[in-house]
Order: sequence, then C-alpha cells, then structure tokens
Amino acid sequence: MGFGTYVTARVMWAAVVSLIIVTITFLLLAAAPNPEIQRAATQAALQGGDPAEAAERARELRGLDEPIHVRYMDYLQSIYTLDWGWADSRSQPVTTALAEGLYYTAQYSVPWTILTILLGPLVGVYSAANMYSWKDHLATGFAFFGYAIPNFFFGIILLLMFGVWLEVIPVVYDTSVPVFSLANAIQLSIPVFVLVTGSIGAVMRVSRNESAEFQHADFMKTAKAKGVSPLRAYAYHVMRPTLVPLSTTLVGQLLALFLGSSLLVEVVFGIPGLGRVTYNALIAQDTNLVLGSTLAFTFVAVVGNLIEDLVFTVLDPRISYDDR
Amino acid sequence: MTDDASPLLAVEGLTTAFDTDEGELVAVDGIDFTVEAGETVCLVGESGSGKTVATESITRLIGSPPGRIEGSVRYRGRDLLEMPEPELRTIRGYDIAHVFQNPQEAMNHCYTVGWQIVEALQIHEDVPDAEARGRAIDLLDRVGIANPSARFEEYPHQLSGGQKQRAMIAMALVGDPDLLIADEPTTALDVTVQAQILSLLDELQSEFDMGVLFVTHDLGVVAQIADRIVVMYAGKVMERGDVLDIFERPAHPYTRRLLECIPEVGGSRKGGIPGTLPDPHDPPAGCRFAPRCSHAVEACRTGGQPAEHAVNPGQHASCVHYRSDMDRSVLRDGSREEQPAAGGVSPEDE
Amino acid sequence: MGTQRSDRFDEVEWDEISQSRWFEPSKNTLGVVFCTLPLALLGIYDWQVLGERTATFAFLGTEWNLEGIDYLFGFTLVLFAFYVVAPLYQNPRMTRYYWRQFKRNRPAVVSLGWLGVVFVGGLFGPLVVSAPEQSVLTGHQPPVFLSIDAANVATCVGDVVGGRCQGTLQHPLGTTQGGKDVFASIVYGMTISMQIAFITTTIVAAIGVSVGTVSAYAGGWVDETLMRFVDVVLSFPTLLMFLLILYIYGAGLGMFILVFSLFAWGGTARYVRSKSLSVSEAEYVKAGRLTGATTAQVVRRHVVPNTASSIITQLTLLVPGFLLAEAQLAFLGLGDSAVPSWGQLISAGRSDLSFAPWIVLAPGVVLFLTILAFNFLGDALLDALNPEAEAENE
Repeated sequence: MGFGTYVTARVMWAAVVSLIIVTITFLLLAAAPNPEIQRAATQAALQGGDPAEAAERARELRGLDEPIHVRYMDYLQSIYTLDWGWADSRSQPVTTALAEGLYYTAQYSVPWTILTILLGPLVGVYSAANMYSWKDHLATGFAFFGYAIPNFFFGIILLLMFGVWLEVIPVVYDTSVPVFSLANAIQLSIPVFVLVTGSIGAVMRVSRNESAEFQHADFMKTAKAKGVSPLRAYAYHVMRPTLVPLSTTLVGQLLALFLGSSLLVEVVFGIPGLGRVTYNALIAQDTNLVLGSTLAFTFVAVVGNLIEDLVFTVLDPRISYDDR
Repeated sequence: MTDDASPLLAVEGLTTAFDTDEGELVAVDGIDFTVEAGETVCLVGESGSGKTVATESITRLIGSPPGRIEGSVRYRGRDLLEMPEPELRTIRGYDIAHVFQNPQEAMNHCYTVGWQIVEALQIHEDVPDAEARGRAIDLLDRVGIANPSARFEEYPHQLSGGQKQRAMIAMALVGDPDLLIADEPTTALDVTVQAQILSLLDELQSEFDMGVLFVTHDLGVVAQIADRIVVMYAGKVMERGDVLDIFERPAHPYTRRLLECIPEVGGSRKGGIPGTLPDPHDPPAGCRFAPRCSHAVEACRTGGQPAEHAVNPGQHASCVHYRSDMDRSVLRDGSREEQPAAGGVSPEDE
Repeated sequence: MGTQRSDRFDEVEWDEISQSRWFEPSKNTLGVVFCTLPLALLGIYDWQVLGERTATFAFLGTEWNLEGIDYLFGFTLVLFAFYVVAPLYQNPRMTRYYWRQFKRNRPAVVSLGWLGVVFVGGLFGPLVVSAPEQSVLTGHQPPVFLSIDAANVATCVGDVVGGRCQGTLQHPLGTTQGGKDVFASIVYGMTISMQIAFITTTIVAAIGVSVGTVSAYAGGWVDETLMRFVDVVLSFPTLLMFLLILYIYGAGLGMFILVFSLFAWGGTARYVRSKSLSVSEAEYVKAGRLTGATTAQVVRRHVVPNTASSIITQLTLLVPGFLLAEAQLAFLGLGDSAVPSWGQLISAGRSDLSFAPWIVLAPGVVLFLTILAFNFLGDALLDALNPEAEAENE
C-alpha cells in the first residue's frame, strides 16, 4: 500500500469517526426532552392556552414529528452542509458566531502552538544533552510545574499579579485594540504564557527522554567520525528522530489543552473566543449554539488526530503502510 | 603540514580511562603502534581487550568526560590529542575515516543513504548539491552497490546489511582518506558477504593508497588482509610483527593460544583459552595474561607488563621468557612444539 | 541477575508461587466478597427502607448520610485493599524490591506521603472535621497569622488590631465570603478527589482489561472492531461531550465519573492487548494451553498479573486529568453544585481574590500539589517497574 492509499484510508477513517460522534450528539438530543418545546408549553399554560397543543405546534415547527430516521438524515445534512441554525442568544447564525469566536481564539492559539512546537523539543533536547546537570533539573522542574498547575488557577494568579496589582494587562480582554499591535501582544502574553507552560511540559519530557536514547546511538558516533560538529549532530541527528515519537505527544497535548483549557483561559481572561462562546451558550440555554460549538471543537479534535497520524507517517521513513 | 619522515600514524603511550561507579576503568593502557601509508595493520584480540576504545581514541571519538585520553597520537606528525576540536573535525571523516562494526545502527534511520553521504562530503568541501550528489552516486557505484542512483534516494532500512556496510564505506571514502580505521566491519555480516566486503576493502586500499587500521578478533580475516599485526590483551600490547612471522612463529603464549582457536578445515578447533579477561578495574600485577598462561612463572606475576623483547627482526613480544636472562625453551611445549620454527631461525635476543 | 529477576512481578511464573494464589478463589477474593456483602446490604437498606430523605445512620442519632457514589467508593476501596495492598503484604520479597527501586526517587516518596495525607484526610476527615457551614456574618476571615482590613469583614472572630482583623485557629485557613471554613472545605474536597480517583480508575481498569484481553484472544474481526472502537474512544473530545450531556440532561458527580471513565480506557485496552499477545506467545502460557488451561484461566493467571504493574502506572497518570477536569467544571460553575470540591472553592473565591486571596490559593495549591504528586508517582512507578528502560537510557 502506497502513501497515497494510506492517506486516503486515514482521511476516510476520520470521516467515519466524525460521523460516529455526530450520531452520538443526535442520539443525545433526540432522547432528551427539548427545552424549547417545554418552554413553549409553559408559555402557553401561563397565557391560558393548551400546553399540549402548544408543545405539538412547537414540535411540528422544528420537524420533530417526523420519523426518527428522517430527522437523522436531515440532521446529518444540515451538519455537513454547515447549516447549523440560528443562535438565539446572539441573534446571528451559529456559524457566524463561531467564526467570530475563532477570530479571537486564533489570536492566542497560533502564538501558543508555535511557541510550544519550537521551544518544547529544543529545551527537551538541550536537557538531554546536559542530563543530570542543574540545567536539566531546572528544565525538568519547570516541566512538572507546567503540567501539574491547573491552567485556570495559574491564570487567576497571574491576572491578579499583572492585571490587578501591576496593571500591566487589562483585567478583561480589550477587543478594541488592533490584532497586530503592541497592546494586543501585551494583553495576550499572559494567556499565551499560561497555555505554553501547560503544553510544553509533556513535550519537553518526551523529547528529553527520547533524545537521550538517540544521543548515544551508533549513528551519532558515525556523525562525529564524519566530522559533524556537535551542534549540527544534535540539530540533525538527534532532533530529527526525536520528532517521530514526539509528533504523537505534541499534537495530542496541544489538542487536549485546546479542547479543555482554552475554554477556561478565555473565561478567566475574558477573551471572547470559541470557548467563551460555548460557555455563554451553555449559560444562555442556546441549544443550537451549544451544539454548534461542541461540533466545532469535535471537528478540530478529529482533524487534529488525523494530522497527528499523517505527520507521524511522514516523519518515520521506516513505517510500513501495510501495518496500519 | 606534512612530515614525510614520520609515519602516517604513530601512536605512543595511548591510555584511555573511564570514570565509572566502581572506580577508574583503564580500557587501553599505554599502547604504541604505527601505521605506514598504504599498509594494513590489524589490531587483534578478544572482545573486551580494548581494541575498539583504542581506535576510537585516535580521533577522540570517545567523549571526555566520561573518557580520559592520554599519550600521543601523531597523524603525519601532528598530535591529534593536542589539536583543538574544530581543527580535528576537519581531519575526521576526510583524512581519517571510520567504518564501524554494526551497519544496521551506524546510519541514521531518518535520512536517506544519499543524504548521509552528501552530508559527509559537504562538511569538508564546499560542493554544490548537484555535484555532491553526482560524487556520492559515483562512490556508491564504486563500492559495488547496484543501481546507485536509486539507492541514493533510499532509507537505510531498505538496504541489506551488506549494502549498508558498502554505503558506510562509500561514506568513508568521500575525502579520499589517507587512513581508514575499520572496526570489525564484517563481524555483523553473513559469511559470504564478509568475504565480499573484505575483498572490496582490499581493492580500495590499493586504489586509494590508504593506510588501514583494521580491528578484528577473527584471525582468519587477519591472514587475508594484514601486513602487520598488533595483538592486544586487556588493554596492553602482547605481541607485534609481520603477519607471516606471527602466523608462522607466534612468540607470545597468548598469541599462540589465539591462533589455536582458529578452526581448521576438516578439523575441530583445538580449544579456547581457559579463564576470562581480568577485571579492568583491578588488573593483575605483572603480565596481564599471566593468570591464564600455562607458562607463567613467578617473574610474570610481579611488576608491570613485561617490556617488549625482539623475537625476530620486526617481531616483538611482551613476555618475560624472551628476556635475555630467561630460558625461552619452557615455551616449547604444547601443540606448537611439533612445528619447529620454519627455516630453523632461532629467535635472537638483542 | 538470575535470582533477582524472579523478584519482579513481570517475570514471576505465578502458578509456581503456591502459597499466594491471588487469582484462584483466594482469600483475597473471599475478602472482597466478605466486605462487599455488608456494604451492599447497607445500600439496599438505605435505598429501600430509609428512602431519600433519611440519613443512613439516623438510627445512631447522626446526620451522616451515604449516597450511591459513597457505596461505589467503598467498593473500590475494598478492591484496592485486597488486590493492591494485600498482595504487597503477602509478597514481602517483591514489595521490598519495589520499595528499594522506588525510594531512590525522593520526590516520588514525598508525593506518596502527600497522597497518603489526602487519602486519609478524604477518608476520615469528614468524620473528624464538621462540614463547612454558611455563616454570612463571619465571612472573609483571614487565615491564622494573617490579617485583613476590618472593613472587609462583618464580624471579626479574632482580635481587631489597628483596624485589621487577625486570623484565628478557629479558621486556620480563613473563611469564604459566605463564611464557610476553607480548611474544612479542603478536607471535604479531599473526599471528592479520592472518590473520583478510585472510582474512575476502577472502571477504566475493568473496561480496559476486558476489552484488551477479549481483543487479543478473540482475534479476527472482533479484534479489528474493538481496536477501531478504541481509536474512536481515544479521539473523543470527552470534556465537550460531557458539556453537551450536562446541557441536555444536567449531570452530577456520578455522571461526571461515568462519562470520563467511559472514554479513558482506550490506552489501557491497547496496552493490555499488545501485552496479552506477547504473553500468549510465551512458553509457559503455551505449556499451560497444552495442559488444558482455558483462555479465561490464561488471562486470569498470566495476562492480568503480568500487566498489572503497567496498568497501575497508567492509571496513576490518568488520575490527574480527571481531577483537573472536575476542578475546571466546578470552576466554571458547571460542576455538581451539591459537591464541595476544590474547584468550586476556587471559583467561589475568585471575585474576592484581590483582598482575600487565601480562598483561591489554599485549594489551588492543594489541587496543584495533588496533581503534581500523581505525576511524580506515576513517573517513579514507570522507572521502578521498568528496569530495562532505565538500563537503556544509561
């Protein structure tokens, strides 16, 4: 099986996984009493109408009187054609609301991801090269600190220090500043720092442990015997093989944090991104928007896992496509 | 700087030690040898005798720490042990090239064979990519790899063990080296492939006019390629001399026992050497081989390793029995006794 | 090495250890049954006779009440005692070997100590410390040795010196805005954290081991289907799915534990599968097969004991994720409001952070230390149980 076939198969599998998850959301929704119908019924009862009739009308309005397989097909169609409905709480289409959220989420996610990808392996390999020295212990301590401290807690503390006491950053994210401005960079620096601290620890640990193995490999002796300088040997001969096992950790770690902590970090720092949109939708009982943002994150997860597998396959030349 | 009077490689008093948890481990203990241009010197001994450490000390491939290398290693008169690291790097892989024991692990699995050869070339010469590629393919062709331009693009795992070792040899040849250090280059290979690699190395030596320092524990290989032999045991040199002299008239008891270990055609080997290598943390006094030597006398167990005594012109053995005041006839027993020295030449003392 | 090797879990041929047959109808299994029975009877009595409103131990004149999750917690504690603690006691040689490996890692020993404190605090703390109670008048009391501007407190429990209210031993870690004692809240939070840790790991271990072994021994399309299913489980955005469930149905701590453990066993199942496959190739298992052992017996006698150490390590590293997720949800105000967890305390203190930081700091630091301790412990177990990996690195 060639690389092309493998990619095709893997993409199709990602589609299947997304279908399974979408189906689960459908079943969850279908099995539950719809709060909007109950609301309609309550409304009718309060106004002296017939609650049962009002509920029936509301159900008809939403197409809930159709047989379940028809509703399922409709549901799938609207999900995959990005027809995700109207977000009542924001008076705009769900997709628009999500796009607006994404605009702010991307502003801190992009620098955070880049910093993690660049710094994590570098510090890890540096740590391995100086194994058991104070530099290594310092880096290891930082790594453990980073993934043990809850991001939202760390965020609160830093916000207190830099927002309330030092007044370096605004206490609530200021959306009025331009994206590419110093003010924006400063106000995003703390959330980015919190997220990098959270994601870099695992990346450092894995790259340290994996590269420890490679720096004593026979091929490093070959490289030295060829006249390769130590810096080049680490940059090419240790870093490159380390990236193979690291690729799985890296994407996984970023995804886990993106799906969990970004929501918390946005709530703590008041950034009106995707996480905040989800949170507000939950509070405002906006079903369409809750569903929409859940699906948006889900698709990010599915695509992230897909990328992880593909990157792994591209990075490791020894992989045989037949085994996977 | 080239000094025509000095040998290609002159190793004097080379000592390599490591700090370990159990104290200092002296893997190579003050050995001397030379390699002249165009000749093949074989470093022979059991595994663990310090051969590999000795060869890797020459261009300081052993990191320090943990290692500590002392003595002098002169390449064309320049002391490699005193040389600053950046200068030494220009010699490694260009003037002095290495081929290692295990081709399976010696190449980085993440890069193509071609990339790794080109890397070796471009470190030393400012060659454009296209030209480097051409030269690498020529080298692959030269070391007998079929379809070299296709192999250039392949990863190490796609090659067989023999092909990988050929590619490693090609990598070693990028700078037209004057000295090739080959550390058991055939041990990890099939017997048929071994023979091919050996004859390839033999051809290349005359073609490139290289001095070769060849490490092996296989005396069959030695007989095939060596000009001169240096026999090592437990970090010390036991005997040295021309290949014919040593095979015909081994002087040191250790060399004799080693030669007895060669399986003979149609017969079984005459037996290994009883006992094991001494503890490198705490080597015995006197001759290192004394605890396992059937000829050991009291003089063998005191002092340091005996001085090297000339046995023949060009053949020296580090054995007290060749001292002028000792009776060397005690050595005339065992299996070699019935084969008196060829040509009736009796070993001459200085 | 020959004699030392057999000290290790992974190397032991279990049936040879005749005096300690863990997985025969052993005294351990009997112990589990023996201890579970009264627990179950109490549960049935609580549920059927007393009903929702009456406290379980009302007949003793106390308010102490048990709920569904407490029974589950009790059951997992019984399992832990008989299948983890008891074997360590019954095999002192092996225990000593592990301890020697383990104690070389000092942070891990400290971590174990801390987790011991949390465990004991969570188990017995609620019996000793009275539940934190709302008392608006004594809100914002500072921790002992600290003080707060008297303007911020309605009534100062301690002395007011120079316009500053001093902390007292009555509230060693101060109180929240509502006057709840922070120390007591943290102790009650320990119970929640321990419940999450024990119940989730038990469920994860049970599902992971079952799916892994079934997959390995059934092979064919069963194996393929289960492993594909594991792929789905592993790429499942659990927190978001939980949010959706929470939104549609509402969810308490029990649902939280259920959902998170139902989507966390993927890694365990994969590991058990690959280990089972390699174990089933081992000579002693083949020998067992020849003498007529069934697959179930092979799994019970060989696969489970041989994978136990690695599974325990994996689970140790999973727990911090669960604790963090619970704290996050509680912080967002989406957790179980009936459950006084650390996250909830952090959330409660957030608005008063600038003048009463202890309300956030105390539970935050405890949460941080607990997560850190689980990570150190998992790391150390990884080293202690895997001497080969250590040797490779040297």
